Amino acid sequence: MKSRHLQVIAKKEFSSLVSEKTIILAIILQLFIAMFSSFLLVGLASMYNPDAISQYVKIQYPIAYSGSHTPVLQYLEEDGDFIVYEMPLSDAVGALKERKLSAVIWVPDTPEYADEPVKITIYTVQNDIQSSIVNVKLKDTFIEYEERLREVRSDRIENQPVDLNLPPSNPSADFYEFVYGLLIPLLVFMPAIISGALIIDLITEEYQHDTLETLMSTPLTFPEAVWGKILACFIIVPLQATGWLILLILNGIRISGVVPIILHVSAGSMVIILLGALTALRYRERTNAQFVFSTALVVVIIASLAFPMNPANLIVRLSVNSIGHEHWLILAVVIFVAALLGILTTKYAERVRDIAIK
Amino acid sequence: MSRDILPVAVILFILLIGATGMTQQSGLHLQDRIYTAGSDSETVSGILAGDSRFTVKSIPGGSLPTGDGFEIIVSGSEAYAADTDKGMAALKALEKDYTNYRIALYNREDDLFAAYPLWIEEETVKSELDFIATQSGRMAVSPPNPNVKPVPENPPVEVTPPSAEIGITEDELRSELIAGESRDDRISRYSDVISPEGVDTAYKIPSQMSPSLPFDSIILVFVFIFPLYFTSQFYMMSIMNERIERSGEALLSTPVSGWQIILGKGIPYFLMMIGISAALTAYTGGEFMILLPILPVILFFLAFALLIGMIARSFKELSFISIFFSTVATSYIFFPSIFANIHIIGMISPLTLVIRLMEGEGFTPFEYVYSTTLFFLTSTVIFYICAKNFNEERLFNYNRLMPRMREFIETVISKRWTNTSLFLIAALTIPFVFMAQLMCLVLFFNLPMPLSLLLLLLFAAFIEEFAKSIGIYTIAYSRPAWLTWKNIFIASVAVAAGFLAGEKLLLFATLAEISDSVFGEIMFTSLQILWMPLTLHFIGIFTTAAVLKIGGRRAYIPALMAATLIHTIYNAYFLFYGGI
Repeated sequence: MKSRHLQVIAKKEFSSLVSEKTIILAIILQLFIAMFSSFLLVGLASMYNPDAISQYVKIQYPIAYSGSHTPVLQYLEEDGDFIVYEMPLSDAVGALKERKLSAVIWVPDTPEYADEPVKITIYTVQNDIQSSIVNVKLKDTFIEYEERLREVRSDRIENQPVDLNLPPSNPSADFYEFVYGLLIPLLVFMPAIISGALIIDLITEEYQHDTLETLMSTPLTFPEAVWGKILACFIIVPLQATGWLILLILNGIRISGVVPIILHVSAGSMVIILLGALTALRYRERTNAQFVFSTALVVVIIASLAFPMNPANLIVRLSVNSIGHEHWLILAVVIFVAALLGILTTKYAERVRDIAIK
Repeated sequence: MSRDILPVAVILFILLIGATGMTQQSGLHLQDRIYTAGSDSETVSGILAGDSRFTVKSIPGGSLPTGDGFEIIVSGSEAYAADTDKGMAALKALEKDYTNYRIALYNREDDLFAAYPLWIEEETVKSELDFIATQSGRMAVSPPNPNVKPVPENPPVEVTPPSAEIGITEDELRSELIAGESRDDRISRYSDVISPEGVDTAYKIPSQMSPSLPFDSIILVFVFIFPLYFTSQFYMMSIMNERIERSGEALLSTPVSGWQIILGKGIPYFLMMIGISAALTAYTGGEFMILLPILPVILFFLAFALLIGMIARSFKELSFISIFFSTVATSYIFFPSIFANIHIIGMISPLTLVIRLMEGEGFTPFEYVYSTTLFFLTSTVIFYICAKNFNEERLFNYNRLMPRMREFIETVISKRWTNTSLFLIAALTIPFVFMAQLMCLVLFFNLPMPLSLLLLLLFAAFIEEFAKSIGIYTIAYSRPAWLTWKNIFIASVAVAAGFLAGEKLLLFATLAEISDSVFGEIMFTSLQILWMPLTLHFIGIFTTAAVLKIGGRRAYIPALMAATLIHTIYNAYFLFYGGI
């Protein structure tokens, strides 16, 4: 196998990737997935839990209180999020319908030590995002009251849980696990998956466009052509992964272990690409090859997530610096698998060539 | 798909079920052991050991509150967290684990009403103000004045105070609580960021008060969408194969029309998709009504599969365009369904109807129309364009992507009735414009407030100007001589009128409720009285056309930018300075 021949093929595939602008589409796609997934979490979380975004805190919501006097009234009045009016229920619900109030609370006169529970009714406007926000805000007040009632009735509880005093938490921590535990592995593995699909297209195209014979008539051998394509698909993976990591770091997300992460992604992507190449050589036809490959890939991904220390988990742990040196061992195993698949691919390509020559 | 891969497909399917089962058993090991905790209490160690995110080490009693390499230290009944982002995240995890532990104990108390002394009942009332009030610039809730009690304008209807009693027995409440507890923690952890512990029951304990995320249903929805996506891929490949192997030539030489070929090739896949959906519905024990909202999704996928199969030049391009399309489409379909339990905006996706059905609620015919119109319309438009272009000239040339798209449009512009064609094209772009604008809304939501608003303004305007320019740009390419000043003027009126007519019609049919937010207002500011938006659309397209005439077709990008700028300024003016 001559390295110059590999280069020729790799270069040709590169330039066609660039001229067809597919690579740009691929990058936009990844950007889209990243933005979309962060919209899902950050955007929606702020809707469900308005405290996560501090700008919302300034707003005070007008609410009405009716029914018997309980400590709930006092808790609500002390809470800076609400302006509380004591009103008769009918007036309050009328004002709520005209959106002059955000919620109405009705509290019955159940005694605190009673056998039955205290049942509070909240009226809100149907199908309104503001109602969800007010609900979340009211929740804290009710939890406070629940604690008080539980305390009053504590002699009736048999198994008291162990006490644990937790320091106050910081709402910004909500997104830590999303960024490190989901976004980073997703972003660095996406280029690998894209390259796996790409190698299938590159190989089956030669078969289906009948350009294989032309290719064989050049001094290039078939295994060289296959490896040149593999090379083109492989090189773009660490480039994209590094790009993502740099972008994340520029956004103030601290990532440890950048170099090992890229090594893991590269080794993993080589395995994926070689699997794709083997599938393409076996089926020679895009529909079948893509179908088998993508289904197999889903199986591999789901199955590997069932094991601790899978490559995605390693990347998560590397990025938050929660791992010792044991990950090098896994890397060696993945490289070994890639080497085996590489030998297999060469042998298969040689066999294809031999059959073609005969 | 050929028959010889059937055995492989069966094996892979079995493997898939096996792998899924395995992962369900052992959980997703994605975030394993990212935190380290030290604890001197056996109970707390036990709580943490149940959470795979923690590596737990026991430390001697009375240890210091800080330690190297620990995110969490538990000493006696006090917990300490490292003062880093990671420490705070670990604290969140501990908080949640501790709450779960308490819940597990309380749920089994004999006196349930001592453990859970407070229950909340939620009642909703229908607002008497409709969205038109907010659209005209009034705030939904007027800023509260602490000294003045709000008084309803209309005489209030007598409301009977709700009874103080819970109509359900203690045992029923307990079984509901315990059922909520058994949700798989390894999966719910990912959804909990959004909606911790939300449930949909008549009575809730205070900690359950967050709106519930229909998480299980959303997973189910993916189960429905993926096979559809796969099957539409086969249709795409079957069209592509006609082209690369030139077997389509034989077909085209027969007297069969493009329509017939497209339908003939598409019907088996359509039936297959319906069959798969029906099988899945039967398997999950759902109602067959689910097929109704799935139908427009199937048509939508098939329409795009056809278009992509007809325009791609190579397999690479086919792969990337189709992956790109499927990602965008899936997110478009998927994202509103998250709001299924909160807001009417959820209804713009047919999948919300599926979720509603799965949750045991139905939908009204109006809701069906509301959420499926866009899908039916876009599919029809695409099928029409493809059928018109299903001929030798289009199928077997391998022009670049953009020129090919232009050729497709060119085919549907009539030479004789050019202005009528332009009017129709402009009207038919509306569903796509709305879809694109909604996607922008989703994407820019991430950015900080003034920037997101500004970008949304710009992009909303750009998308509209781009959509309007499609017809005239195509003519500028194919028949530059047609662009006389008189023709440009008339064509601009036709496009503006078509665009406005489409916008009004579609809005009337569907998107009424979305305008109920600041973002909505941007998209729909051009919906006041008729002549204003008509003038705006006219000026926009006339700018584009005039620049195209003066600068030639190379001036397309500057032309669009100029039109976008004008459009943005107009929208910004009405957004910030009120107006009509």
